[in-house]
Amino acid sequence: MRNLWLFLLSVPLYLGIFPSAGFAEGNLQAQLDALQPGDVLKLEGKTYEGNIVIDKTVEIIGTDQTVIKGDGNGNVISIKAPNVKLSHLKVTHASMNRNSPEEFAAIKVHSNGNTIEDIVIRDSFHGIYLSQAHENKIRNVDIKGLGKGEIASQGNGFHIYFANNNLLEHNTIEGTRDGMFFEYGNGNTATKNNITKTRYALHYMYSDDNRFIGNTFTMNTGGAAIMNSKSIVLEDNDFLFNYGHRSFGLFLLSANDITVENNTFYLNQRGLYIDQSTGNKIKNNRIIQNQIGIELWASSNQQIFTGNQITENTIPAVSLGGQGQNAWSEDGRGNDWGSAFPLADLNQDGLGDLPVTYRSSLHQLIEDQELTSFFLKSPAINIYEKMNEFLNEDKVMFEDLHPLVASNENHNRFGLYGAFGLLVIIILYKGRQRLCITLGRNGKKI
Amino acid sequence: MYYIGKEWKENIRGKGLWLALSIIVVLSVLMMFKSSVLSVDQGFYFLLLHLFDTLVYFIPVLCLFLGAFSIFQEKEQKTLIMLLTKRETFASFLWQKSLSIWIVLLIPVVAWFFIYLVPLKFMLILDFKSYLYFLTAIITIIIVFLQLGTLIGSISRSRMQIVGLTIFVWFYFFFLHDFILLSFLEKVTYENVKLFSVFYFLNPFQAGRMFLEGGLGVLSVGHMSKLMQTFLWTKPSIFLLGNLVFWIIFSYVLSLVFHRKEGVE
Repeated sequence: MRNLWLFLLSVPLYLGIFPSAGFAEGNLQAQLDALQPGDVLKLEGKTYEGNIVIDKTVEIIGTDQTVIKGDGNGNVISIKAPNVKLSHLKVTHASMNRNSPEEFAAIKVHSNGNTIEDIVIRDSFHGIYLSQAHENKIRNVDIKGLGKGEIASQGNGFHIYFANNNLLEHNTIEGTRDGMFFEYGNGNTATKNNITKTRYALHYMYSDDNRFIGNTFTMNTGGAAIMNSKSIVLEDNDFLFNYGHRSFGLFLLSANDITVENNTFYLNQRGLYIDQSTGNKIKNNRIIQNQIGIELWASSNQQIFTGNQITENTIPAVSLGGQGQNAWSEDGRGNDWGSAFPLADLNQDGLGDLPVTYRSSLHQLIEDQELTSFFLKSPAINIYEKMNEFLNEDKVMFEDLHPLVASNENHNRFGLYGAFGLLVIIILYKGRQRLCITLGRNGKKI
Repeated sequence: MYYIGKEWKENIRGKGLWLALSIIVVLSVLMMFKSSVLSVDQGFYFLLLHLFDTLVYFIPVLCLFLGAFSIFQEKEQKTLIMLLTKRETFASFLWQKSLSIWIVLLIPVVAWFFIYLVPLKFMLILDFKSYLYFLTAIITIIIVFLQLGTLIGSISRSRMQIVGLTIFVWFYFFFLHDFILLSFLEKVTYENVKLFSVFYFLNPFQAGRMFLEGGLGVLSVGHMSKLMQTFLWTKPSIFLLGNLVFWIIFSYVLSLVFHRKEGVE
């Protein structure tokens, strides 16, 4: 009887000293093991110890306080059964080990048809890794990495590897290596994701027939780098503030038959950067206030630029390495080049009466010397261009045969600003006497 | 303290300070409205970069005139001669005068930029640390150009000389400095890029912009080529500090060497 009391006392004492030993991890995995396919497991708002493997078709629902914490030696959650549903969980502490044969993630998916939503991921190498996993839905996932300075020591927000027909929507990724990395992933759709402060928000290799709609890529080293892929659609995305000296909004490298439509490229070092790519259509985009609107290498051919608003860029478009065979209009519809290229439209058909031709001397400098990017924000660039124009050392960068006439919607706003500015100056000037009395403690009229 | 009080009273009675302040107020308010149409999350960063790029068109020329006319007024009114006869050396006068000019302009400008935060708070998500980077860059540029203004005021004998020199200095930093460097750009190699970098960052606009972009986290300095790494051989804050120290010493020493006590109408 005495031994029994001792045993009953020692068990809670042991668990108090070693809370994770045997109880928590075993408990969650044991709970999972005890489930039947189709069961729903509702977790409490507390921390559960990982790592766990889900090998049955089950649904796991947490609360806003539910945390699954890995042991730092592997994937925190591995999904190996199809049609699993995970929701309302915080998943942390996957392995950051780069010397293992496997790259670890907070959630690694090896199966098809799963739904992962309302998940927070922290302190993990990759966020969600889809490995040969198809037709999964990933929604409302919030991933935060180690920060922009860390590239090699961490992984990607989403790592899509040999994974097809997945849907990624309404996710937020910040400070990982790449936001979404695709390698051999076809037929995927990414909509309304928000990716910021990564290396490339979207990094993309050997993946075809994917759609990216309504995503926002801000303050990354590069917005989207699409390489060695074809038949991609990019619509209604915002590529903003990818502002570093080598940065870009969208980079197409060996990418063919890409449709880039209705996107906004604003305040990037380069809006679009196109190299070794063929047959892409760039239509109805807003390419505004970038250092270089479009950087087009001669190795790229048969691009069509039509209906784009390409305004207020330091350099609207530059062709490097020679002139490729590209079209700056389609079906008699060119692009709006803004007030930098004044146009007459006597027949008021919305098209300029004469072609727009842009000449620049900077192409050689940009090609030869990478430090040129440090001067693109300098007003001296304009003098340099004018000087070379005078010396006839510039070359034609593009010729738009059917330019669109710029819209005048901002004129009223500028008038309003001017009136407001005048009012402030009058108030400060006329009220100066009173301010002088107040601030200078004297009433002398000047 | 005597100089600060004197400078304060002289400036608030004059038009220069009010003109400078009103231009800064108007520009910053206009930029605020322009940025309010942008994303709430990133709008604050857009605003700071745009505001910096806009203000650098106006602040230098205003500061050059303020600094120059402040010194020249002492010559015109013969107060400089009186001060130098009684108790001061020109070096001590110049130092105290410079300090008082900085303080008198910076107090209302900094006060305005703190007031400016109030409407911004309702329109955008603020990042106070980034705002301090912005203020530091602007304050540095103000001090540099005020000090260059005192140099112009010290060496000039007439108001026309001041106008001419001010326009030249503004034009030099705004266009000519970078234009000269652009002309040498093709000859820059790994061996001489550090020297080139020193000259590049002697431009207060470039040093200020680099500091601001670094502070806002939009300057990507990872995975650069060896040439780029050597070009950015130290932190943006060191470039800015170096720029500030260099131009203060440069202006101060040249003012001492070439100053003229008499001014003519």
